[in-house]
Parts: sequence; C-alpha cells; structure tokens
Amino acid sequence: MPQSLEARVDRVAPIPRLAAMFRRNETVLLLVLVALLVFFTIGSPTFMTTRNITNVLGQASIAMIAAVGLGMLVIAGEIDVSIGSLVGAVALPLVVIMNATGSLELGIISALVFALAIGAVNGYLSAYLGINSLIVTLGSMFVIRGGIYIYTGQKAIPDDLALESFYQIGNGRLLGMIPYPALVALAVFAVFSYMMGHRRFGRQLYAVGGDAEVARLAGYNVRQSKFIAFVLCSLFAGVSGILLSSRLGSAVHVSGLGFEFQVVAAVVLGGVSLAGGIGSLGGVALGVLILAFLSNGLGMLNLATEWQQVITGLIIIGAVGLDELRRRRG
Amino acid sequence: MQADRSLAGTPTEVSGAPAVTMTGITKLFTGVKALDDVSLTLLPGRVHALMGENGAGKSTLIKILAGVYRPDAGQISITGKLADLRSPRDALRQGIKVVFQEIALIPEFTVAENIFLEGYPTDRLGSIRWDRIRADAAALFARIGFDVNPDDKVGNLPVSKQQMVEIARALAHEARVVVMDEPTSSLTPAEVAKLFDVIRRLTALGMAVVYVSHKLDEIFEIADTVTVLRDGRHISTKPVSEHTHETLITDMIGRRIDNLFPRARGAAGEQVILDVEELSTEKLKGISFKARAGEVLGFFGLMGAGRTELAKAIVGFDPITTGRITIGGQLLQPHDTRTGKALGIGLLTEDRKSEGLMLDLSVTHNMSLASLERFSKSGFVSEPSEKSAVQAFVDRFRVKTPGLTRQIKFLSGGNQQKVLLARWLMRGLKVIVVDEPTRGIDVGAKSEIFALIDELASDGLAVILMTSEMPELLGLSDRIAVLAEGRLTAIMDRADATQEKILDAAIA
Repeated sequence: MPQSLEARVDRVAPIPRLAAMFRRNETVLLLVLVALLVFFTIGSPTFMTTRNITNVLGQASIAMIAAVGLGMLVIAGEIDVSIGSLVGAVALPLVVIMNATGSLELGIISALVFALAIGAVNGYLSAYLGINSLIVTLGSMFVIRGGIYIYTGQKAIPDDLALESFYQIGNGRLLGMIPYPALVALAVFAVFSYMMGHRRFGRQLYAVGGDAEVARLAGYNVRQSKFIAFVLCSLFAGVSGILLSSRLGSAVHVSGLGFEFQVVAAVVLGGVSLAGGIGSLGGVALGVLILAFLSNGLGMLNLATEWQQVITGLIIIGAVGLDELRRRRG
Repeated sequence: MQADRSLAGTPTEVSGAPAVTMTGITKLFTGVKALDDVSLTLLPGRVHALMGENGAGKSTLIKILAGVYRPDAGQISITGKLADLRSPRDALRQGIKVVFQEIALIPEFTVAENIFLEGYPTDRLGSIRWDRIRADAAALFARIGFDVNPDDKVGNLPVSKQQMVEIARALAHEARVVVMDEPTSSLTPAEVAKLFDVIRRLTALGMAVVYVSHKLDEIFEIADTVTVLRDGRHISTKPVSEHTHETLITDMIGRRIDNLFPRARGAAGEQVILDVEELSTEKLKGISFKARAGEVLGFFGLMGAGRTELAKAIVGFDPITTGRITIGGQLLQPHDTRTGKALGIGLLTEDRKSEGLMLDLSVTHNMSLASLERFSKSGFVSEPSEKSAVQAFVDRFRVKTPGLTRQIKFLSGGNQQKVLLARWLMRGLKVIVVDEPTRGIDVGAKSEIFALIDELASDGLAVILMTSEMPELLGLSDRIAVLAEGRLTAIMDRADATQEKILDAAIA
C-alpha cells in the first residue's frame, strides 16, 4: 500500500466505559435482578437456599431456551406466538415414538423434526409470502393446539416405558446440583449470544430487523435471514417442549398454554424492541431470570397467584416504559 | 484483503476499456417508460456526470446499475463481460458501490459497523473482528478527512454526518464503479471540497465515478463527461469542456412546450387570502409570499428544494420555527391542522397512498372524512346527507366509480385524486395546497385534474400548486415561485416566465 495515502490511525479513542455501561439496558436489568434477590432473601428465609435457587434456574431454563430463539426472531423484526402450542405439540411425537420404539433418541429426533417443520411453514408464510407474522403464528397457534386436542382426545399420553433417561433429561442434576435443563439453556445462550454479537449471521438479523431495505441494499438476503430465524425459534421451542415433557413425565395436551406470552414478556422486558433491530440476548436472559425469580419469590411471600400476575404485568409495563423514555433522551 | 481497490489500494492503470457499458436500457413502471433505450459508458479513471430534471430517469438508471431494479430491455457489461444484476448483492460483488440519495444506513448500528455492513472483517474462525472494524473505520475517515467518530450510533448523527458515512462506506471495499447520487445535498462547502479530493484520488486509482447533481458548479469542477437525460431518453453525452451553463440547461429542458393546458378561468382577484411571512422550518429559510383569491400560485423546485416541506408547513401539518401564516385575515395559531382546517386551508398530499387515502374504505368514507361534522347530529353521522353530498361531487368531478361504496383502492389514480380534492372542497375551503397533483396519473386523466384545478381557482379559491413538472407549472399558474435549497429564489408573473428563467433559479 502506498504510504502517501496512509495516515494510519492506530489508536481509536476508548469508549468511556463506566458511563457507557450505565446507559446500557443490561446493567439496569442486572440491578433490578440483584434488588429482587436481596428483597426476597430478606423477606423469606427459604428463598436464598441452594435448593430453591437451583429449582428456579431449572424452571427458568425451559423459558430461557425458547426465549433465545424468540429473541432472535423479534430482533429480526418478526414474532412467533405459536411457540406455546409447539411446546405442547412436540411432546406427542416424542412420547409416541418413544413408546413405540423404546428409544429416547428417536423420540427426540422426531420431536425436533416436527418443530423444524412448523418453523419452516411459519417462516415460509411470513418471510417468503409476506403475510404478517403475528397473524401467521396466531393461526398456527390455534391449528397446532387444536391438532393436539384432536390427536389426544384431550387426555395426556403417558410415558409407558418409564425410561430413566427420559426422566433424567428434565429432572436430573449434574453432580446432584445443576439441573440439566440449565446446562442446555446455558449452552444455547452462550452460543447464540456469541452468534448475535460476533458472527455475520447475527449482525444480519439485527440489520434486517433494523431496516430491511437498507439490509437488502447492503447485499443481504432479507427473506432468507428471516426464514432461518423462524426455523431456529421453532427449533428452540421444540427443545423447551422436550424438557418440559420430561418434567411432566408424559405428553400433556394442555402443556405450554400461555407459555408464548411468558416468553414474549421476558423478551420485551429484556429490552428487545417489537419493531425489530434493537435488543440483546443478554437482556433477554435477564428478562427471563427476573420473571422467574419474581414469581418464585412472591410465592414464597405467600402472595396469592392473582396478585403475582398483577405485579408481573405492572413490572413489564414499567420496565419497558422506562426503557422507552431512556431511549428517547438518547 | 482481496486485490484492493479501496481508497487504501494500489493505483491501477487507467486503461481505455470501459468499466461498465449499459446499452439500450429500457424500464417500464406500470406501462410508463421511465427509461427508453438509454446507453451509458463508464470509463475507468473518469468522472461521469448524470444530469436531468426530476423524472428524467437518473435515479432509475442508477438503481438498475445497483441491482435494485432489473431492466425490461437492454444489457449491462462489466469490463467487457455481460452481467446479470439480479439484486444489490450481485452489483456489490461486481464492485459497484452506490451512495444513495436517501440515507441507507442502519440507525441502531455504530458508524464503524455501518461502514463494514457489506463485508465484516473476520478472523480465521469467522468471528467478526470488532477491533479492526473500529480501527479501519477511523483510518478511513482520517484519510478522507471527514470528522466522524466511528463509535457514534448513526441514528444520533445529523444528516450531513450520515451522508459522510454513506460516502465512506462506498470506499471501504474494493470498488470498480462508485455512484454518487446527489452526495453533497447536506454537506458544507469545506466538506464538498474534501469529497472532491476523495473523488480525484479514486479516479487516480482507476475507478469510474458516476456523479449525479443538480449543482452546475460542481459538475464543471469535478466531471470529465456529462450525460443528459430527459423524459427517460438519452439526450447528449459530451466532454464537460464542450458545455457551458447555457448549453447544459438547454439540453436538460430541450422540449418546446406547445400543448399547454388551455385555461378557462378569468384573471385572478385582488383579495389576499394567504399571507406567509418569513416562514422558516428546519429545511425552509425565510419564505414570504402572498396568494390571492382565484389565483394559482405555482411553486417549482428540483428534488430536495423544499416544496413538500413548504406545503406541509403552511397547512399546519409540520412545525415551524419562525414566521407568520395568515389565512383569510386570521393567524394560523396554534400551528396545527385542526386550526388550519377551521381557517379553510387544506392539503392534497403528494403521497396519495400513505398520507391521503384510506385504501380499504369506500369512496364515500374517503371523501367525507374532513367534513363529518357537517353531516353529524349529536355525534352520529347522518348517512343520507353524507351520501347526497358525496354524490354531488362524484357527478360534478365526473369520478368514474361503479358506486359510492366501492373501495377506493379499485379506482384509477386520477379518480382517487378527484375524491381527495372533493374531500377538501366539501368543507368549503379558501386555500388549497396541491402537492404534485398528477404524480402517477396517466396522461388522459392529467388534463382532467388540470381542469379541476382551473375550476377551483375560478370558484375563488387560492390554489398553491407544488410541482416539479414544467408543463404543469406553466400551464396552470398565474404566478410562478421557485424554490432552491429551502429558499425562495424567484417569483414572477406567468407572462414573464420562461423555462430557462425558472430552471436557472432552481439550480443553485
């Protein structure tokens, strides 16, 4: 390279780190989480125990896995409300195939293939045919749930063989301590957090959700990116469904009812904009944890579940409202 | 890095073989020819200026080169090989970089990330190298001499900085052709000088540059060759040294306007109905004018001159920073459309589909929207009186519709426009502002819209006509005002106006 054209600037001014940190949504969420933990620890003697904390983490993991998938899809500017139905539905191929073949592996594979197929249909209708994804997935939510009821006759299908391995994936603990679902959630979160921040794939989802036309002009395949996000979202919901089914020990026809809204709430609380292009999986993870500890802690304070719902709702509106105000001030 | 022809790269020889040849390019939009058999040859190491009035086809030609549109006929060769540019991605791969007129950046990303949007530098495992993105972006800005912080979020930057980011992005990767569509519209003279330095360095490296601008001084300073388009056709390609100010303007206008619209109305009245004094907004600077009853006051301006901004400001839609607007003797205060409506000013918007029509609603509902109070008793709309008023306008304006309940999206552009005009007239207006009233309307329907505007003026309304179409301007106006870069640069009687005078005032 000719040096005459080179006024090489090697040093870039460092970002003022502390100030930048407090402007970040994740920092605020982390403070909220810590405040909740402190509050419940003071309020209930049984809250801050290894047993309780690992239990909550185990429960939160199932929502976390689905939330990573949904978070990426919402960042790409789309949404999927059929994940609750899908969580319930994957248990059918899982348990039925397992009962027929005695193989947990075959059951899991068929459950994941089922989830991929649903994701592909949602993705094709939304990304390629251009139908609004809220409408598409609202439709598939009903179709899938209806299908479950028809197939099961509104009864649970038990795990006839009572495989120990099937029980273990949802209920087992590494070293008797860390629930397996938490390990799965951690792995999914770590890999896709890295993908969103440090791989072209992830930046493409941000770009597509931020401004699809600009992304197209920059040479991205907008439809393909969105399609992949739909498929991943369903795949992760499928994983959540498998773990949930193991915890329930059967394919329960009503499992996953309302699950989609829990996950949407966590994603939004985590700072992901429903308009797309804004948010991070770190925020999503904190959103999931906050909601999980909130419900557990309020329960321990013996607050009626009705009131837990009211408080959860108020916290979501308050947090997202504050975040919106903060953004407007820049 | 690949064989590098970015700004940091090694100079290559300026050879005679064309970088890009576009031959016989034709593009139709819903049957209308936006481009008709246009050819363009871009030589490496040369700056090729593209000029023409609004709607001449410059942007369409650029978008075809950028892979945004596909031509209906014609061929594109890149370094002698036939190329099929099916998407922006194809064009980028061929080394065609475009600085679009509309800012095409992701607002949530940092400056540095936007610069490398088309190709992130990665390490061997495919991880994005954020350190290099920041350092390379900073180095790029240092070389160009633009003062932009690579860590800033693009959405927080003013438009001029965003434009610099756009320009820098086109230079970050290997390029064969760099296309700049009005790159200087928000830059200061000092920044423009820096841009020209950059362009000279690019051509020294053997890149072909396409430069689109309305600013004649810039063309004479930077371009080697000028191609003029008019009404989608190729008019001339000459070395810039063979052009003068006058010959360029003549090439751009060229046409003799002989079939002007025959006006039926008499002379305008004397009573001033709209008085705008020293109006300024973010875009407009100190605009004053008066409009009289029965007058059509035409505003001409090139793209970005501020016509639409003026239209939206005087009806109270957009906020103003300073100035007074008086309608029928009463001040437009507070400055909002509700007050505007009450004082009798209405806007026929340029963007019919998104700002004017409710596409899925009926002709009736679209037309009566602004005057529901008239048909309402204690909050309930009386359908019979609404219907009869709508029917009266449908008859008077000869709106072609199978019925009043027909959804308006099924009507032709011309008939939709008539419904929107009727929406405002139903209220009994004093002033109507019409922004590009014949955009997207076929030729036959145009003269009907002209006749309606003529009729409105003869009914005693003041009509403020915003247009970029010369024949429309000259055919309808009693007086002609010209905007350039947010300022009023000329105001003249129709009798004194010539195309040359108008375009001269419109080109800064």
